[in-house]
Amino acid sequence: MMDNWARVWTPANLERLLVGDLFSRGQMGGLLLTLCIGFLAIAGSTLIGAVVGIMRASPRKALNIPAMLYVQGFRNVPLLILVFWAYFLPPAFGIQTSKFLSVLVALTLFTGAYIAEIVQGGIRSVAPSNLEAARALGLGQRQIHLWVVLPQAFFNMLPALAGRYVVSMKNTSLAFLIGLMDLTEIGKQIGARLMTAPVEVYLTLLIMYFVVNRGLTMCVRLLENRQYFNRLFLRI
Amino acid sequence: MNSDFSVLLGEPGRLILVGLVETLKLAACSLVLAIAIGTVVGTVRWIGWRLTEPFCWLYIEFARNTPPVVQILFWYFSASFVLPTPMFMALRDFGYELGAAILALALYHGAFFAEVIRAGLNSVPKGQFEAARALGLRFPQALGKVAFPQAIRVLVPPLVNEATALIKNTSLAMAIGVGEMTFQYRAIDNFLFRGLEALTAITVIYMLLCLIAVGVGRLINRALSRHIRARHPGRAVLPAGSIIQ
Repeated sequence: MMDNWARVWTPANLERLLVGDLFSRGQMGGLLLTLCIGFLAIAGSTLIGAVVGIMRASPRKALNIPAMLYVQGFRNVPLLILVFWAYFLPPAFGIQTSKFLSVLVALTLFTGAYIAEIVQGGIRSVAPSNLEAARALGLGQRQIHLWVVLPQAFFNMLPALAGRYVVSMKNTSLAFLIGLMDLTEIGKQIGARLMTAPVEVYLTLLIMYFVVNRGLTMCVRLLENRQYFNRLFLRI
Repeated sequence: MNSDFSVLLGEPGRLILVGLVETLKLAACSLVLAIAIGTVVGTVRWIGWRLTEPFCWLYIEFARNTPPVVQILFWYFSASFVLPTPMFMALRDFGYELGAAILALALYHGAFFAEVIRAGLNSVPKGQFEAARALGLRFPQALGKVAFPQAIRVLVPPLVNEATALIKNTSLAMAIGVGEMTFQYRAIDNFLFRGLEALTAITVIYMLLCLIAVGVGRLINRALSRHIRARHPGRAVLPAGSIIQ
């Protein structure tokens, strides 16, 4: 049993799991690639989600309906199908694409739809009495949205956002299904090479993903403490 | 790009239908199993026995923080090492890809269901359960007749969300070669060269499956909140987001 662990946790294997063939062949892979896709997708989808979520919360039909179509269209399809679309559709129109880019685009658009729903829910969760109070104090419409609704909505949606970020970090593992050298693929290769220690190999993978995702949750949870947030970003 | 959707009436269409049946089998089995796991674990966590708490925490955190694909691969490839040999041999002849996928998806989504159900039970005031106990109902009776009926109405929307997530995650079972829809699409793309048509078809089918799940959830929700509308006949069921202008 311990013997198997020793065969999985060799320095060479660990290096491949962490950075892929970065040093030997110059190709990034492993945990580093997973984190790369994950954080880029998180950043992109937060941007998309913020814009679409605000559109979704607006009363204007011209903004509301396209946002709704986007959200419903991307939320009701498996991410794997979106990855295949992003990988096989552009070449049909003569556009060059790469595996990395197609996974990134699919993951960003998919998570963006979910984050839009979260943002919309956060905006709706601000109590109407707040708006009335702000209007009574003489704030304009734009000031109300910027200084009253959005800050409260932000803190209200942090727990849901943390959950979604973890899901999108987990979903980067789909990259291996179109042959990208991410953590899962490298683990699978190591498992296939050793042949006799699948339990240990996959447990190693699970533990690595677990540490990353737990860390991500904890980071977002730090922001939920408003005093800490203010000190960190607003210097007050 | 020349696509011809009439090919879907022939061999590709047949393959997709075969895959659809497999997808439905996978989704139904793992949904039932996941709800069962979620109910048990969620209730146990809600009760909060000190003895079971660490195990439940470990299970839920591990299942929720690791990718479903890796969990599917784990259960599939380590089956021969975890199970006793004769049992594994019997399973291997039968083909255990579907079983491994069902188990992995049920465990993965069971953890989410457990959290949802615990939150739902928490939303029922504690006094309700205590009053039921004080009136002489046994523990299971108080749970089944007082706590759950009140929790279930709050529970339906998040449960439907999870159910659609489960339906979508069945597509991951292709990683271990379960012949469900996404797997059939890969086969059609590789051997019949009708990738885009097949991809369009299965995208539409997945969308329909998710929308059907949402619709069923809405029907259940309406049935469960009938007594509320009966009590306040003037009030419609709140449309989502009627608060802000």
